[in-house]
Amino acid sequence: MRSLCGTLLDSLARSGQAVAVVDHRAAGSPLIFVNAAFEQLTGYRDHEVLGRDWRFLRSADADPAAIAALEAAVAEARPVTVELRDVRKNGEVFRDRLHITPIHDETGAAVFLLSMHSDVTVEPDRPESGSRPEALHEQPGVATEHARRAGTVSRASGGWEWDVPGRRLYADARFAELYGLAPGAAAGGLPTDTFFAPVHPADRMRLRIAVAGIMHGADIFAKEYRIINPDGSVRWVAARGSSRRGADHELLSFEGILTDITDQKRVEEQLRIVQTAGGVGTFEHVSGFGTVTVSDQFCRLLGLHACEALPVRTVNAVVHPDDPPLIGGQDDDSSYREFRVVHPETGEVRWLARRGEHRDEGHALGVRFIGAIYDVTAAKEAQEKLRQFAETLEARVRERTKERDRVWNNSRDLLAVVGEDGILRSVSPSWTEILGYRPDELAGRHAFELLHPDDVAMSQAAFRAAVHDHGLTDFETRLLHRDGTTRWTSWHTSHEDGLVFAYGRDITLEKARAEDLHRAEEQLRQAQKMEAIGQLTGGIAHDFNNLLQAVYGNLDLIRRKPQDSTRVGRWAENGLQAAERGVKLTAQLLAFSRAQRLELRPVAISALLRGMEDMLTRTLGPMVRATFDLLEGEHGVFADPTQLEMAVLNLAINARDAMPEGGHLTIETRLHSVVHDLELAPGGYLALRVIDDGIGMPPEVKARAFDPFFTTKDVGKGTGLGLSQVYGMVRQAGGATRIESTPGKGTAVTLLLRLAELASGAALSGEEGRADDTTAKAATVLVVDDDPDVRCFLANSLATLGYLVVEAKDGHTALQALDEANPDLMLVDFAMPGMNGAQVASIARTRRPDLPIVFASGYADTAEIDAVGMGTAVLRKPFRIEELEAAIVSALARD
Amino acid sequence: MIGTSIALEELERDALTELVNIGVSRAAVSLRTMVGEQVFLSVPSLQVVDRVMAAALIRERECDSLIAVRQDFEGAFSGRALLIFPEANSLELVRAVTSGELSGKEAQEIEEEALLETGNIVLNGCLGTIANMLRKPLTISLPQLLRGDSQQLFNVSTSLTDHGVVLFLYINFAISDRDIRGYIAMIMDLPSLQTLKVLIAEFIEHIIGPEGVAHEG
Repeated sequence: MRSLCGTLLDSLARSGQAVAVVDHRAAGSPLIFVNAAFEQLTGYRDHEVLGRDWRFLRSADADPAAIAALEAAVAEARPVTVELRDVRKNGEVFRDRLHITPIHDETGAAVFLLSMHSDVTVEPDRPESGSRPEALHEQPGVATEHARRAGTVSRASGGWEWDVPGRRLYADARFAELYGLAPGAAAGGLPTDTFFAPVHPADRMRLRIAVAGIMHGADIFAKEYRIINPDGSVRWVAARGSSRRGADHELLSFEGILTDITDQKRVEEQLRIVQTAGGVGTFEHVSGFGTVTVSDQFCRLLGLHACEALPVRTVNAVVHPDDPPLIGGQDDDSSYREFRVVHPETGEVRWLARRGEHRDEGHALGVRFIGAIYDVTAAKEAQEKLRQFAETLEARVRERTKERDRVWNNSRDLLAVVGEDGILRSVSPSWTEILGYRPDELAGRHAFELLHPDDVAMSQAAFRAAVHDHGLTDFETRLLHRDGTTRWTSWHTSHEDGLVFAYGRDITLEKARAEDLHRAEEQLRQAQKMEAIGQLTGGIAHDFNNLLQAVYGNLDLIRRKPQDSTRVGRWAENGLQAAERGVKLTAQLLAFSRAQRLELRPVAISALLRGMEDMLTRTLGPMVRATFDLLEGEHGVFADPTQLEMAVLNLAINARDAMPEGGHLTIETRLHSVVHDLELAPGGYLALRVIDDGIGMPPEVKARAFDPFFTTKDVGKGTGLGLSQVYGMVRQAGGATRIESTPGKGTAVTLLLRLAELASGAALSGEEGRADDTTAKAATVLVVDDDPDVRCFLANSLATLGYLVVEAKDGHTALQALDEANPDLMLVDFAMPGMNGAQVASIARTRRPDLPIVFASGYADTAEIDAVGMGTAVLRKPFRIEELEAAIVSALARD
Repeated sequence: MIGTSIALEELERDALTELVNIGVSRAAVSLRTMVGEQVFLSVPSLQVVDRVMAAALIRERECDSLIAVRQDFEGAFSGRALLIFPEANSLELVRAVTSGELSGKEAQEIEEEALLETGNIVLNGCLGTIANMLRKPLTISLPQLLRGDSQQLFNVSTSLTDHGVVLFLYINFAISDRDIRGYIAMIMDLPSLQTLKVLIAEFIEHIIGPEGVAHEG
């Protein structure tokens, strides 16, 4: 068979036409060849059908007339075309247009039948020409040529044969249908001009030229043109033909196949528009082939001239050498691929993307890859910009990191990152300089390990606060240097993402300086104190000398003239008055030392201030005019009278010093009511104001005016204790101090004192203890004093008052006497060498719990006296005999 | 680029294509006789371009160096015809036209001669046919063999001042189942192209007739 048909059959088999070859002379007329298209059409694989009777496809309801026509033609070995109902493997019935041609050998014998099949089931609105399927074309010559012609075309749709010498055009039913001819007439032959008759005028000339080419010697013919149907619609057809020539190359016939490509054209057009509009180029490549079938848009995208096929190398040569090739390459998968193409002429670089699919169609040839490419330059550029942005951002971050690293590395402060567990994550190099440890030695260690043992608990609490509450600010703690010495550090922390960032400063030096400063201040204060003491003692000595002079002189006069009873009485009174002044002076001194117990009680303020008038006038000197502007009537305030006097005196002295050129001092009292005050409880107060018109105080001085030892006076001029004493006394009394001052205008200090109910006569102290002399008679008093003069005076006084007296010179003797003499009362000096009065009293109490004890003291630690317990009284030295008597009587009466 | 004035109209291009088609068909007959085997030639596709474009078209399609047979023609219109193959194809062509009886070495030895002969047949077939059809005799020179890339073949660099046009034809040869592709290029100056246009118009009128009726045979 191959020898008969040669390459023709091969070509035919490769074409899309379903083809089978039948050995009709063998028993059972078996099929001996089917092609892939046949398999596709019928659904059978070749091994399933080869050897079977070629008639097996027929449906049971196949048209008997058509079968008869077919069998008759086969029997006569002539070609035939019929339409039959055939059955596919899956049972589906289809309309099979069957074209059978005998294949003749050299002798002219029909040795095989070539059958060509096509499914015409779906062809729409076929005019049922002649109303029945029938043998359309029974002319032997034409049919033979069909078989031959099929070798040059891929799809036989409608066939024609132009008999050149006979000037007739023969055509099959399909051609007739496409050309709008009567099938019978077409088979019977028509004038050759029929070939051009329905052709669109715009295409007619082109077709004529092509046909002329054939007539003048061209071998092959290929034209696409339009046909106008009788109904006016236009169809595109593709005509593929060739010339057949005789022995002398004379043209015998021009034959060909006409295919309706309207749909194909439309699809092509749509595809073209899609490609152009969408900028998508398509290509098709079969693996192993050197060329690629491409679309125009494909070529345009690559910057190449439009054509249908390009060498793979040309296509890939356009692609940037660094990028994957467009076609093939390693792992030529169907995945997305991006690459740059360099325009061959302009050199412009564009980014393209490729997508596609492999279609394994079972070809021996290879795998078909159908792909599309499109321009992604804009997206790529955007991507690139984004990348650059990210890069510059990265660079900026790097720069920032570098800056931060520089800070970290060069900082002289202690920088540390600490976990919430207190483990040091990292520390800055400055730690080495300050604490002697290298950063790598510290990382991983617990921060608390470095703490001074005394600061551990406090620092742990602070660290907890840094983690849970808020960052630390100026938190000071001590750390230990590697060499064991201490470093003071001050810390700030911030807490972020589970880490504590700590910034520490070495303040050891500052601390040392502060300590030095503090010491210096202390020394200065001490010096000032000494200076003040010097000043005081000087003043006191002067006053004492004066009053001693008075006492001395009067006593001297009494001794000289004891008989002059009237003058002795006056002299004694003068001496006592002088001694009285001494008492006040020492009281002030004691108050100044603040060792005195504050005796808060209602004080008649106006009387107190009036009582100070003389002393103030004397103290202020002639340059200062003092005015008292006091409330009408008497008002009681809660205060210690002695202290209050001291306070007023201090204020007056300050005022005097603020008026070096002299001035006016006013002391006034006003009522003041407090409803809401930070310092004061609501209630009635008395405002005692000391006002001067002196130099005033600047704000910074005013702010510190009440600080102890703060003084604006030159060294030696003041102790700095004045206002602090005032402030302390007033606060203790439940009041407050206010200060108003304007530089150059003067100062007003206000003492707000709680108003208190005055018991009648309460202000008069020292009078209530007087008792009848007789009540105390015969009581034994143990007198304990280390000073023999005082002891002697006391003993004499008590004896004068009628008491029995036992003397003891110290605590030890006193305790002995206590057992031996069994006294009714112990009068004991407080300040004694060895056991002091309080200690003696305590021991005495253990033996005689009910023993009345009177302390006679010039200087008394009130706390110690209080510790002795109930039944004690304090008699302040110096005292007059009347005061002694009252105290004794009162103590014995309490017993 | 080519101005519209020198571009051929569609019909003229069709006609010229047909002329070449007839020419190569005749050449195929000659080749067939020579080879003793079937020779198929595809219907050529024709473009009128300038030299630079022609060089680009070939360069894009062929990466390898090229080999060409050149013949100059002179007559009513003058110019130069080139039959161009990829060099890699040339030996195939030689084997095909020598019926595959030669060894590779022998084929190489006679390559030049075989190519010149083949080129002569094809180009003479084309030029001769065109001359006959247009009824204008052409004097055709002896064939010459050229090698080089497309730029060199079209003298692009040296002929920038020469605004000649190229009738560029692409043809597939199939000889003895060997696929050989080739190009026929006819380089002409503008006056020659103008003349050719006139002749083609006459030809169209002649073969189709003023009434559009073909004169067959």
